[in-house]
Amino acid sequence: MHPGVSPIVEVEDLHVHFGEARAVDGASLRVMPGEVLALVGESGSGKTTLIRAIQGLQKATSGTVRVEGKSQAIFHDPAVQMVFQDPTGALNPRQTVYEVVAEGLRIRKDRGDELEMVKNALSQAGLRPAERFLPLYPHEISGGQRQRVVIAGAMVMEPRVLLADEPVASLDASIRGEILGLMRHLVDDTGLAILAVTHDLGLAWNIADRVAVMYLGRIVETGPTEEILDDPKHPYTKALLSVVPETREMEQQILKGEIPDPSRVPSGCRFHPRCPLLQSGALPEDVAARCVDDDPGPVALDAVRAAACWPAMATADRSDGGRAE
Amino acid sequence: MSEPLLSVRDLSVTYHTKGGPVPAVRGVSFDLEKGGSLGLAGESGCGKSTLAGALLRLLPEGTDVEGQVTLDGKDVLTLNPGGLRAVRWTAGAIVFQGALHALNPVQTIGQQISEPMLVHKTVKGEKEAKTRTESLLGRVGLPASRAGAYPHQLSGGQRQRVLIAMALACDPLLLIADEPTTALDLMVQAQVLSLLSELKEERDLTLMFITHDLSVLTYACQRLAVMYAGRIIEEGPGREVFADAAHPYTRGLAAAFPTIGDMSSRLAPKGLGGDPPTPGNLPGGCPFHPRCPLARQECLPEEPELRPAGGGRSAACILV
Repeated sequence: MHPGVSPIVEVEDLHVHFGEARAVDGASLRVMPGEVLALVGESGSGKTTLIRAIQGLQKATSGTVRVEGKSQAIFHDPAVQMVFQDPTGALNPRQTVYEVVAEGLRIRKDRGDELEMVKNALSQAGLRPAERFLPLYPHEISGGQRQRVVIAGAMVMEPRVLLADEPVASLDASIRGEILGLMRHLVDDTGLAILAVTHDLGLAWNIADRVAVMYLGRIVETGPTEEILDDPKHPYTKALLSVVPETREMEQQILKGEIPDPSRVPSGCRFHPRCPLLQSGALPEDVAARCVDDDPGPVALDAVRAAACWPAMATADRSDGGRAE
Repeated sequence: MSEPLLSVRDLSVTYHTKGGPVPAVRGVSFDLEKGGSLGLAGESGCGKSTLAGALLRLLPEGTDVEGQVTLDGKDVLTLNPGGLRAVRWTAGAIVFQGALHALNPVQTIGQQISEPMLVHKTVKGEKEAKTRTESLLGRVGLPASRAGAYPHQLSGGQRQRVLIAMALACDPLLLIADEPTTALDLMVQAQVLSLLSELKEERDLTLMFITHDLSVLTYACQRLAVMYAGRIIEEGPGREVFADAAHPYTRGLAAAFPTIGDMSSRLAPKGLGGDPPTPGNLPGGCPFHPRCPLARQECLPEEPELRPAGGGRSAACILV
């Protein structure tokens, strides 16, 4: 899909099982250099397990994770850095900003000019002048600045990809935009890639080039952000979009309950017990029966735009003369 | 207009810390009619949770609270302990943020929902409390069989539902929801908001909703008040305040939310520059001036008062 450019992260048919629970159950995705991919889904969809597997913190049951073409012997690979949800929890309260940011360099036993590298990373993260922040402790700076310190601590390692797990969910709404803007600048200026995990499609509109929607361990829809948000095909994506507070011209589709227990994945399409389209009774009988009995399977690794939904695939078949994607 | 259920006049709250007095709320006044809903929005540290705590006198001992709070005809700030106990839970109850620490980890959720009923004797005994607890659980969308569960066995959304059931235990007139949807994903957030608005209609509840997320409030609340540095700086009908704010701070807050489909926000997240002021160390004049894109010399001499800003709104800015 990007001829001549190789992906930074490639996850293919990944399974991570905890006993009976299939937290990740056949997920595939790619992150290319210089792009932001938003991985979207509710709590319990397996997003966090998936990025832990990419980071090498979680062993895969089967399937592959490759970072820059190398398979997953990547624990402590400086090319992959994390940005956590809660910067206050991620920072050691007894370390100064300087120590926090320099820590990764020391672990890596980097021989460069440490002070210079730390200062560069801080200015890259928008903490300028960097000298002013070096001696401060986390409690002496604001929540937004703390998240910038976390980002500087990642950037000092010169990563190729940032895995950002709900990077702004614990921040005040007013400062979220600034942190997202910073992340987008880093991508545009340095060719960094970001895999941003979120439950908020509004965030995807703000920073993501592409969207992958995850449900119960799998990617169920993927495509370019504008296309997905303008014309979602999967009923799950439609529901997620309808509850973003800023898209109220859509009728809200509040799904009942929560994602089912991953140790009891429903038969057929795994979304069918909560699917508003199936429940509406509008589907032809044969299609509805398929939703209940046959698994539409996960979205393929190579898919540019695809939805793992029988009715959506049937519509695409009719309009595209047989192309399922 | 009917008599307000909640009336707050010139409320000020000052914490005393080692570093000196910290004025967290500085002269807030508003009315909330019976059956109405008011959203209170603002960033961390603006005083919104302190304000909520002051309404039911839940602040730490030694905190200075001045002004007047009238809830269901009672002067809350001067009530004796017995009178105060009668007001809490029955006149007004708080739904706390559903994090694990808002619930007791070693009691079942059934025990925790029954406790206020038994303490306030709104039920005849354990048996009635149990029946009522089960019906409340059902009402908030949890099976009655979950009454025996412990908080750690529930998801974040389920815990938030338990906290709502608990707040409803003694049939309060006023429900104060303090960040009830923060830290929940958007689907659960939508579930909780729709549950609260159903309950409001069903029980003729008066609702006060506190959050940093302005976009949540505009749809859930008839009226919206925005706080900055311990004061209300804009107040008016919810939709108007969000869509057409009069105060530059409210405009900045509203613009921080992306509008899906609006190309001007595509790949261009907007935030409000700078950080909110520290309550103990407020800038002189209009406290928003260091972050305000429209700040000018006239903003410096004194802090502006709320003044009419058209469309039923008022705003504390010299430019309105």
